[in-house]
Amino acid sequence: MKHFAVVIGMVALLSCGACQKQLDTLSLLVWEGYADPSAVKAFEQAHHCKIAASYMGSSDELVAKLRGGSAANYDVISPSSDVAASIARTGLAAPLDLAKLPSYLQLSQKLRDMPLVKFNGQIYGVPFMWGPNPLLYDTTAFTQAPASWSALWDPALKGKVSAWDDLSTVYMAAQVLGYDQPDPSQLYNLTDTQLEAVKRKLLELKPNIRKLWGTGGELTNLFQNHEIVIAMGWPLMTNDLRKLHFPIGETIPKENTTGWIDHLMITAASSHKELAQAFLEYMIEARPQKLVTDVTHYTPANPGAAQFMTDEEKRTLHLDDPDTYMKRIYFWQDVPRRAKYNEIWNEVKAAQ
Amino acid sequence: MYSRAYKSLVSLPPLLWVGIFLLLPYTLMLLHSFWLVRDGVIVHQWNLGNYAALFTRTVYLQVLLRTMRIAASVTICSLLLGYPLAYYVSFYSGVRKEILYQLVIVPLWISYLVRGYAWKTILGSDGVLNGFLQFAHITHAPVGFLLYSPFAVVLMLTHIYTPFVFLPIYAALESIPRPLLEASQDLGATASQTFLRVVLPLSMPGLLAGATFAFVLSLGDFLAPLLVGGASGTMIANVVQSLFGAAYDWPLGAAVAMCILVFTLTLLSLTETLEKRRSFK
Repeated sequence: MKHFAVVIGMVALLSCGACQKQLDTLSLLVWEGYADPSAVKAFEQAHHCKIAASYMGSSDELVAKLRGGSAANYDVISPSSDVAASIARTGLAAPLDLAKLPSYLQLSQKLRDMPLVKFNGQIYGVPFMWGPNPLLYDTTAFTQAPASWSALWDPALKGKVSAWDDLSTVYMAAQVLGYDQPDPSQLYNLTDTQLEAVKRKLLELKPNIRKLWGTGGELTNLFQNHEIVIAMGWPLMTNDLRKLHFPIGETIPKENTTGWIDHLMITAASSHKELAQAFLEYMIEARPQKLVTDVTHYTPANPGAAQFMTDEEKRTLHLDDPDTYMKRIYFWQDVPRRAKYNEIWNEVKAAQ
Repeated sequence: MYSRAYKSLVSLPPLLWVGIFLLLPYTLMLLHSFWLVRDGVIVHQWNLGNYAALFTRTVYLQVLLRTMRIAASVTICSLLLGYPLAYYVSFYSGVRKEILYQLVIVPLWISYLVRGYAWKTILGSDGVLNGFLQFAHITHAPVGFLLYSPFAVVLMLTHIYTPFVFLPIYAALESIPRPLLEASQDLGATASQTFLRVVLPLSMPGLLAGATFAFVLSLGDFLAPLLVGGASGTMIANVVQSLFGAAYDWPLGAAVAMCILVFTLTLLSLTETLEKRRSFK
């Protein structure tokens, strides 16, 4: 009986340790680099909460997860300009209270004026970061930057290419076929005949592809391990590889490239909307924007982040002249026939 | 003997388990395969379009055939490795039997993913094997087909499923009464005759069970092609995964899954019949 009492006492002690006030956890489903501890730590401390981040590999993965019934698992998401509108339209995101986002007005006017995340007079997201999908290459394998995306098809690069497991690879092939002329938004509205041609073009690329990449870390590893020498990537990988002293080059070929404007949104199913709103405000303030930029090398939506940057940083992030830079990026748009695009891409992946 | 109440009480947990974790999900899957997706929403409108798509868009059949080819290669390789190993451990290992048996089992304790990544380090362009080949001047540039290729997928799956082939064969060999072998020798059979006419037939149920394990498990694998497979090594489970994941086409994914399920169940019942016919009682 005495032993029994001791056991009860110990159980009581242990459970008391656990019954201390539980920290609120804010769950994020965002692109890699957006929840780096260097940027979110200050928020965790100020709000006595924990940030738990999952990373997404493609816009479609995010949408599938939200629609597939796991929307309640995430509070904050970072959809890009291709799916942000449909997420807002289909009620997967919660409208924002701008009164609680004082820094909203500091964000680039151009980004705020876009109709993307506005629906029924409400605003569903805040512009966060933007950037291109540049061509990355191992500078030891190329004497100069490849001038065109068609370099990926070079027979000499058999088994030396990686492609992103994402519709961006479909857009890129369409660019090589010239379907972005004269109107780049045609990339997001291809006809059946054009999609058939894109599919054939992508099948021609297959012998060159060593591996498809799904996450930024994966592409970084493929370069580092010398499995590949060229791929479409994100500025994040260039930044990571440079930190690792890998000879990586980044360029936007003559056809220009696709890119994205990422927005932060709160899911309609979130049970921490207050905290999430505070998090959004924090993430668009100038200082955290600069911290995220340090990790990702993406251009911040808040031009105020420039005050914490050297002139060199401002120049490489194109904050000195964002308009010229934006002309070279065909920002992802809502693709009305996204299912058809995905079907084509799946068939390319499944083919021999 | 036992009361009705007792019997139903005892059978309740397994029935619940089968109902909740097998019948219910399979039924949901079956239902989904007759629905369709419109504007990103799954619509409960009955149709056979998904099955029609499977048989008209050749790409799915192509992938299924490729998957079967890979699974068959894995089965053959695992049998070629697993049978002799089981034979040796059962008949010739003597006092080392216990430790050898454990050594075959140990890899099963290590996470599948870790083993996958280990193969990446071994087979990669900067990997251990390529390093050795170049150091020994056997090759001058990294050999590409070692990683991100069908070869790598078959190798990794063989490594993972050989213990699954070993176990049933070993069990079958262990249960062969040793006097039978002596009788065979007494009657003048050579070693190879004894093996072919006594040991092999008696171990056939174990061999069939092992082969089925290897084939069915590799047929449904999606991690190996994801980790070490190349751009052309997509297997059917990857197709299902990407239909359910990025494409959000659950109905078509469910139809593909149902086809694999029917095929697997047919195969299982077939080998079970064979095993029963082969079992000597």
